[in-house]
Amino acid sequence: MPEQNGPYFEDVDLGDEIGPIELVATDENVTTFCELWGNPMPNRFTSQEIAEKSGLPGPIVPGVMSMAIMSQALTDWAGPESLKDLDLVFRLPIPHNKPLFISATVIDTRQEEGNNVVECDVLMTGTAGERYVGGTALLSLPSSEEQ
Amino acid sequence: MYLDLHSHSVSSDDSRATVEQYVKWIHVLRSKRGYTIDGFVLTEHRKFDFDKDYSQLATEYDVLIMKASELDTRYGHVLVYGVTEGLAKDIDLGDVKMDARELIKAARHHGAIAVPAHPGRFGIGLVDYMDQGETFPDLEIVERVNGGSRAGENERAAALCDEHNYLGTGGSDAHLASHLGSCVTSFPTEVRNERQLVEALLTGDFSPVWLKDVN
Repeated sequence: MPEQNGPYFEDVDLGDEIGPIELVATDENVTTFCELWGNPMPNRFTSQEIAEKSGLPGPIVPGVMSMAIMSQALTDWAGPESLKDLDLVFRLPIPHNKPLFISATVIDTRQEEGNNVVECDVLMTGTAGERYVGGTALLSLPSSEEQ
Repeated sequence: MYLDLHSHSVSSDDSRATVEQYVKWIHVLRSKRGYTIDGFVLTEHRKFDFDKDYSQLATEYDVLIMKASELDTRYGHVLVYGVTEGLAKDIDLGDVKMDARELIKAARHHGAIAVPAHPGRFGIGLVDYMDQGETFPDLEIVERVNGGSRAGENERAAALCDEHNYLGTGGSDAHLASHLGSCVTSFPTEVRNERQLVEALLTGDFSPVWLKDVN
């Protein structure tokens, strides 16, 4: 059985908060992501000109990269195999090279079909409080009683 | 009493919060954080859920749950409290280009009240339209404090209220359970249903507050 570095189900309570975790998606980060993703460049994620032609003020962070960032914030907290579902609403384009804040709040804990389920609100905001992405995540945590 | 006058459940297309999650979150606010909050209003986008009944949840968790609408107009979003079937017949709740002035009049005609939401929101709020010369002679109340505002937007709403002597409400604009109740409206009188909410708003005796500042 792998070592548990994150919290046990019994350690988690309604209203618990994770983060905020601050990070910046740099031009280089986005280019690297697009290379790994296989998205041909230049594109609206890497080019000012193409972004402006799409009606954007500048190149944006890909939605799937935002999902990856938010997923990592959750798995860094709860463990690599914990994340079972992530349901997000993209509300605003996410800019490069600006601070992003990832936070989550536990809104429910329950036992369901043999799993110890923790449900979280998860949010990505900017420095002015702008809500870029929000949604909910389902995580499955081990029980301390099973160890 | 403290009521969150602006929230969205999964009945709105951009929310991920169920009504059950909201009432559980109120339990967290009360029992774990020590806040007083009495209830909330579901202001679903471009619709009114006549068929939804949350009375069982409300009783189970001792929370007042009321229903309203947040409608799109050509002058920004408008919260409508006290929606009736007559109002829904007279106006198309889904018409995103309706004139807010007509909505304000129609709402009052049917015993409801229309309150522009987040008027200070950059680009889409009432402040921008009034800066362009639009006037709203029948307007008396706007949402002064909105929990989803970015820096500067609530300040613009406050300046609007001060300049025009508008009364101001407060609401979280929650689309996630844990955002519910961040800001609320304080009423000195008891409100038990949508009709009484409209009456309480018409008295003008209410104020917007951040929940963390009053408990």
